[in-house]
Amino acid sequence: MTNPLLDDRDVAFTLYGVLGAESLLGLPHFEEHSRETFDAFVSVAARFAREAVFPATRALDEDPPRLVDGRVLVSPRLHTLWPKLREMGVIAAARPFEVGGQQLPLAISTAASLYLMAANPALFGFPGLTAGAAHLIEEFGSEALKALYLEPMHEGRFTGTMALTEPHAGSSLADVSTRARPAGDHYLISGSKIFISGGDQDLSENIVHMVLARIEGAPSGIRGVSLFLVPRLRFGVSGLEPNDVGVSGLIHKIGWKALPSVVLSLGEGGDCRGWLVGAPHQGISCMFQMMNEARIMVGANGVATASVAYHESLGYARERPQGRLATSKDPQLPQVPIIEHADVRRMLLRQKAIVEGGMSLLLQTALYADRASHAATEGERQHAQVLLDLLTPVTKSFPAEKGFESTVLALQIHGGYGYTSEYLPEIFFREQKLNSIHEGTTGIQGLDLLGRKVVAHNGAAMRAFAEEIARTCERAAAAGVAASWIGALTGAAVEVSELTKELAQRGRSGDVEGMLCHSADYLELFSTTVIAWQWLLQAAAAREAMASGSSERDFLEGKLAAAQYWLRTELPRVPALVTLCRENEDSYLTMRPSWF
Amino acid sequence: MNHVVCIAYVPDTDTKIKVGASGTSIDEAGVKWIVSPYDEYALEAALRAKEAKGGTVTVLTYGPAAAETGLRDGLARGADEAVRIASEGVGEADSLAVATLLAAQIKTMKADVVWLGNKGVGTDAQLVVPMLGELLDLPHVTLVTELDWKDGSVVAHREIEGATEIVEAPLPVVIGAQKSKAEPRYASLKGIMAAKKKQIAVKKPADLGVDIASMSGANAAVVWTKLELPAARQAVKLVPADDPAKAAEELLRLLREEAKVL
Ligand SMILES: Cc1cc2nc3c(=O)[nH]c(=O)nc-3n(C[C@H](O)[C@H](O)[C@H](O)COP(=O)(O)OP(=O)(O)OC[C@H]3O[C@@H](n4cnc5c(N)ncnc54)[C@H](O)[C@@H]3O)c2cc1C
Repeated sequence: MTNPLLDDRDVAFTLYGVLGAESLLGLPHFEEHSRETFDAFVSVAARFAREAVFPATRALDEDPPRLVDGRVLVSPRLHTLWPKLREMGVIAAARPFEVGGQQLPLAISTAASLYLMAANPALFGFPGLTAGAAHLIEEFGSEALKALYLEPMHEGRFTGTMALTEPHAGSSLADVSTRARPAGDHYLISGSKIFISGGDQDLSENIVHMVLARIEGAPSGIRGVSLFLVPRLRFGVSGLEPNDVGVSGLIHKIGWKALPSVVLSLGEGGDCRGWLVGAPHQGISCMFQMMNEARIMVGANGVATASVAYHESLGYARERPQGRLATSKDPQLPQVPIIEHADVRRMLLRQKAIVEGGMSLLLQTALYADRASHAATEGERQHAQVLLDLLTPVTKSFPAEKGFESTVLALQIHGGYGYTSEYLPEIFFREQKLNSIHEGTTGIQGLDLLGRKVVAHNGAAMRAFAEEIARTCERAAAAGVAASWIGALTGAAVEVSELTKELAQRGRSGDVEGMLCHSADYLELFSTTVIAWQWLLQAAAAREAMASGSSERDFLEGKLAAAQYWLRTELPRVPALVTLCRENEDSYLTMRPSWF
Repeated sequence: MNHVVCIAYVPDTDTKIKVGASGTSIDEAGVKWIVSPYDEYALEAALRAKEAKGGTVTVLTYGPAAAETGLRDGLARGADEAVRIASEGVGEADSLAVATLLAAQIKTMKADVVWLGNKGVGTDAQLVVPMLGELLDLPHVTLVTELDWKDGSVVAHREIEGATEIVEAPLPVVIGAQKSKAEPRYASLKGIMAAKKKQIAVKKPADLGVDIASMSGANAAVVWTKLELPAARQAVKLVPADDPAKAAEELLRLLREEAKVL
């Protein structure tokens, strides 16, 4: 069986049956679209991903970029794939018509991207980063910068990067030390950046780096960091000319190999020009406004890689004969495919629950992003924004963390063959690990959720979330979903809400450490509840489809089984985690570095 | 130069085919439909010719409303117009019935080149290209991988067993496309948006003056009497190799008596 990367039925069911994405068509911003344009774009992306990209997985993994005479050369395969990908229009798909985009909802462009990411996350890194960089310019850049850079970036003739990280400033961007000295209409940039993905390559005419740097004399800390556009080649009198951006090293990574990550040296010759984007010292704030979108992208990568791994192991489990059922050990009987063993189905069902639950949350969050920008009234936009902000850390970290576990299960199902490089799962789990590291590690997401998001606006986000859960429970009850499932979610939601109030109170009373000490456990219990909410929604939609006589009986039964799995085996873990947070179990708080 | 590209909507080659209750056709439940891959090569060749020499490309299909998805995809890739001959209410149509309908429509258009895939995957009959040539009274060339344009004629490269045959035909001409180096493009989102604004013309067989009832269903020249799936693949047979000499003997016996290859 060829790996479908994602189940088309599931993508459509989740978008339309569960989340009602068609309702976006009623908003003026999306009126040029129709279900037909949505489906056509998703199916083109799926087809290209399946036919052209996925078959190159192993080859791209084994043919990483090379640094030759100061330039990075990528695999020749990328030179055939990249033009097709950019011509498809993935970079500007969700941007407005007036800047050359096609005004597609983020939820739909994300669904399309899932296939491409599942086929090869590194390849999708090029359009993904370019879209992010272009969006920063569109939002905060001067008219002159927009006129020069947006079109070639949207067409993929220029690619973009995010150049934030420095060797001593990773999670802590307050410590960025790259310098910017005013020099007329531009600044002279000097410093070094590490891990810059797409930082150099021979695919595009030019590379546009979005660089965080400190203007001379700026205050220290986060409020002294500014954002600059630093092109590899700058516009000169006779066309594009070098801008003193050098590559001082290529990082040898364990995954995402087709996308070069480089050490950039800026201004070694004293002539690296950067143009300010946004106001001085507002660099981090500009980045923050793009953060939700960037983190949704990482969540999408997590879902995508978990999905391709799940389908790989599902196909394998259906075909690999091994052993006999406990009830019929007769050696004369043929061996059964391993999917007949309950323990293998346990691993597959866990993967399914993670992959499809994660995708449901991902698309839900993307829909909030669409509504936050384009809903009809200010009130609706704010409501969506509050939920988007709240759920983004979960949408980013759940697919990365549980998706990693899921790729490990895919390997496990392959037995000894999974531990060889003849089979693909070992690639998937190397690819997946990055998602818990870039765009804010999982640790940082936990701190963001508990320290900022759940307490924002005096708990308004948590109240909005509680309303969403209540609405889901009503829908589930009306659809005939088991009352015990609904009760399980309601119970967990109440516990989470009470715990959150207690922890917030702890913080307000000055015990910040006591509040945040269990941020990882809090992230876990919160995520488990959020995914349970999505599974209850999925179950409701499945029941509705059954009632309306859908012929996809097996698919819908599978949905109910996965919902039951999450609500019955995962959700009961929440109270134990709640206790850890509430009682502030202090083993790692009191543990001293010298005791290790 | 005006190109008409005939496309067929067929079950995805990845679909697990099941025989329908009638026993003479496939069970269409759960089948994903795609444009026949050979037709995509035909469309690609037509689009490239248009890009190089100007003119228009029209995509044409005979099929149900669902087949309009395939026409839209053709428009999104760059075709200018689309026509569907509606199959609603028509019994099973064989190659001759389909070719008759296509020919009737093409006669109403000014086509310099009529393109088709050399065959439709699934049925693999390879009949419509020559039939269309006959019905339109035009020359036809099958298995074409490449075309060179001349004034008033084309030079076609035909892929034949172990060689390439080069033939010349005057325009207008019917071309059956083989898979070639000119790989079909993917539609862009911009193309998809542009295609949405275009109308698909829908014609009934009667609009084209074709009495389709007289040549379809039980009246078709070719009637499907039975459809059956190939026998399930045999499981692997392992010959124990504890005694190599015996094993070799057993292997020979199996090859002779069971596999019948020796
Ligand atoms: C393949 C790859 C591609 C990348 N691409 C880019 C790119 O394109 N552009 C770019 O700018 N960067 C990029 N990065 C860098 C990435 O964003 C950083 O690696 C990440 O932000 C973490 O920073 P660090 O590596 O310095 O780790 P550190 O910040 O040193 O973190 C190490 C550990 O300490 C924990 N930790 C750190 N601070 C705290 C805290 N305050 N509280 C609790 N725990 C903490 C972290 O959670 C982590 O577990 C890339 C990295 C990789 C591996």
